[in-house]
Amino acid sequence: MTEIDLDDLREELLQCRRCGICRNSVYEAKGFDGICPIWRNTSGFETSFMRGKIQVALALLDGTLERTAENAESLYQCALCGNCTQICAAEFHPAHIMETVRYVLNELPNESRDKIAESIKSVDNPYNEDPSSRRVWLEELGLNVPTSSEILYFVGCTSGLRIQNIAKNTALILNAAKTDFAVMENEPCCGSVMMRTGRMEEARENAEKVVDAIKATGAKKVIVSCAGCLKTLRKDYSEKFGIEMPEILHIVEYSKELLAENKLKLKSLDNIKVTYHDPCHLGREMEIYEEPREIIQAIPGVNLVEVNPNRNTAICCGAGGGLRSYDSDLSRKIAADRMKAFEETGAKTVVSACPFCETNLIAGSKLLDSDIEVVDVVDLLRRAIE
Amino acid sequence: MKPSIVNELAQVVGEKFVSTREDVLHTYASSASMAKNPVRPGAVVRPSDADEIAALLKIANKHQIPVTIRSGGTSLQGEVIPKPDGLVIELMRLNGIQLFEDLRSVRVGAGVTYGELDKFLSKHGLWLPISPESALGCTVAGNVAVNGAGPGSSLFGCTGEMVLGLEIVLPNSEKIQTGSEANPYAPGPFLRYAFGPDITGLFIGSLGSLGVITSVSMKVFKRMEFFDYNMYGFDSYQQAEKFLMELKDNDVNAVFTSLYEGPVLEFFMEMMGDEYGIPPMEWPYRTVSMTIGRVREDMLKSDAKLARNLCEQTGGRVIGIEQFPKNEWEGRFWTFVRACYVHGWHWRTLYHHQTPTNSHRSVEEITKVMDKYGFLGHTAGFVTGHASTNMYPHLYFDPVDPEDEAKIVEAHDELASTLFKTGAVPFKLAPFWKGRMEGTEKYMEFLSQLKRAIDPNNIMNPGVLGGI
Repeated sequence: MTEIDLDDLREELLQCRRCGICRNSVYEAKGFDGICPIWRNTSGFETSFMRGKIQVALALLDGTLERTAENAESLYQCALCGNCTQICAAEFHPAHIMETVRYVLNELPNESRDKIAESIKSVDNPYNEDPSSRRVWLEELGLNVPTSSEILYFVGCTSGLRIQNIAKNTALILNAAKTDFAVMENEPCCGSVMMRTGRMEEARENAEKVVDAIKATGAKKVIVSCAGCLKTLRKDYSEKFGIEMPEILHIVEYSKELLAENKLKLKSLDNIKVTYHDPCHLGREMEIYEEPREIIQAIPGVNLVEVNPNRNTAICCGAGGGLRSYDSDLSRKIAADRMKAFEETGAKTVVSACPFCETNLIAGSKLLDSDIEVVDVVDLLRRAIE
Repeated sequence: MKPSIVNELAQVVGEKFVSTREDVLHTYASSASMAKNPVRPGAVVRPSDADEIAALLKIANKHQIPVTIRSGGTSLQGEVIPKPDGLVIELMRLNGIQLFEDLRSVRVGAGVTYGELDKFLSKHGLWLPISPESALGCTVAGNVAVNGAGPGSSLFGCTGEMVLGLEIVLPNSEKIQTGSEANPYAPGPFLRYAFGPDITGLFIGSLGSLGVITSVSMKVFKRMEFFDYNMYGFDSYQQAEKFLMELKDNDVNAVFTSLYEGPVLEFFMEMMGDEYGIPPMEWPYRTVSMTIGRVREDMLKSDAKLARNLCEQTGGRVIGIEQFPKNEWEGRFWTFVRACYVHGWHWRTLYHHQTPTNSHRSVEEITKVMDKYGFLGHTAGFVTGHASTNMYPHLYFDPVDPEDEAKIVEAHDELASTLFKTGAVPFKLAPFWKGRMEGTEKYMEFLSQLKRAIDPNNIMNPGVLGGI
């Protein structure tokens, strides 16, 4: 990442004219039905939504506010979901600029940020889990998957260590389509959360490690099942660090190809009504909205109903931007709020395409005592594979 | 603010909804207004209803704390900049909407934005036909408090014209209801001019200086579905201004009629032309951009034909680029914000009304100060009712250049005096007009007496309503 010019940063922050449409805009013609999940799920003071966060950032940068943990709280109490960017009428990207502010002000105290970065540095995952357990799920499947191949399945930390069903079902889909693929022995973390929380130098070092590890597998194509990994590997590495990567595809993109080539035969599922949650990194960041929907709709017997808002105006699950670690209660509360919206659709299943979203939505579901099932697209697709 | 007072506030709204944190106070020190320096208050509260607000005002009176009422924080002329160590009462939690379909009215809480209300009303085939250009962030009650205007005003007048009644918490903590709803047995809001003088009107445009508007009852109308978009060019301001009056005299249902100077339109098109899909062209000396709206198609066709004829009769020509007025109208909740931001500058404004036949005087005065002080700016306007035009001068400055901003402050100050003398009427009596309104001394004194009578401790937004 190039050196940040503080004057440029300030000028960019001053693109915000404080109109406040990043708070709770309802703009039916453009699909907006509320903007900031933090504003909606906290006491709702100005610091909770982007207008206030930008004012705080400017004040911390110019010394109007003292650089304390309390004064910096609002900068981290943000999922960086980017819905504010969708509505913003000014010439800047509020969510991305907030990431830059976190980087510039990364001496500000933030225990969860530092703990995560240290964990990634020491054990290659943010959960401080034993890295040797990375391929345990493969052993459970009984698949003989090599560690090098032209196609690499980059599992990601959450699928590999927490919600292993996603990893298993991704592998089973690839296997059913007779795709030869590899899974790394010691897969490093993509470093997404380091970037989001402002530990950019460590993220760069980590990225170099990831690139070397991917190169060592001989991969020409990398498939991921995590929206965060996708954005990080496909977009951030090149834009922030100038690193060239092989082709990176999310499993929903790859599965769409497999379906088009008739490599997957699907059986009917029993007349189920599902709705879809757009992960911020897959949707707003990578503009992948239709592929997961096309996969869901390709499964006979599955009826997809949309939650409102959706696609580029979808409300975040509350997990991103380091918020789940920084303020897990708020993160879960946002997820519960989102689950309420899913309940209103009448669907019995929420489908997503990001293990981090799924983790948080399940937490939200528990908080709400909801009986809606939360699954990944690969879970649903795997169920339908004959 | 003293911790004991903060405790009292917390007992009213709950600890969760009172803050004295430095970061929170900093964000309430400013609003969307770029025309005032930030002032940090002593506390911010977010009450949930009128009863809590009444209790808060009791505390403020007891301790003589200046109170600033704020909802969306979207006002542009320093209306909600607090006093040092004062109390900000933020109204965004007052969020109910109640429709009275038979009465053609709706009652909305002070925290309801235009976007929220429009979504609600559209389900019933209805609308509140006027919305400010800040409609996504601005609350209806907030706009009533500043007597705003915007798209829709060309036919329906300023926001105040839509108001049927208000619920108000007075500075002494008494709660009153104005309009037909003052009768507790009335079926709802259907008549504003009831029970003697227009007390509702006293609070419209009062800038939070006389009490707290906690809910507003507004007229609603059947939503128009048929629109005609066109632009009309003129070689002189006389022709353009005559056209505007002819439209009124002939009852052409123009819901939004904007008047642009050629160079101003060129400036906008340089920035926005591609987004609007408008090819580069040489704009006439004056251009009228107009949306005609009707609930019936036959009426629309008749109006559209008449508008074209009137244009030609007044010496103008039909330009026919429909994208511009269509973008203005269909995108009215967002497009104007975009147009104000795309150039990158900050700006000061000085909203005022002129008659349509005098609007060129505002253009002349702003051009003079631009030339004198050497800065970029403009003014355009839109028709706002019976015989008025809302003019909105923008004086641009670079926010990272204090010298540039200082120049604009001086020019802005000078413009208030010169504009007033052209016959301009400041419908939002922002503090900038203080001492600039020669000949209004008795009126202002009467307004001061009213304020003293209603708010003897002068706790409500002191110094803001024309400096009172």
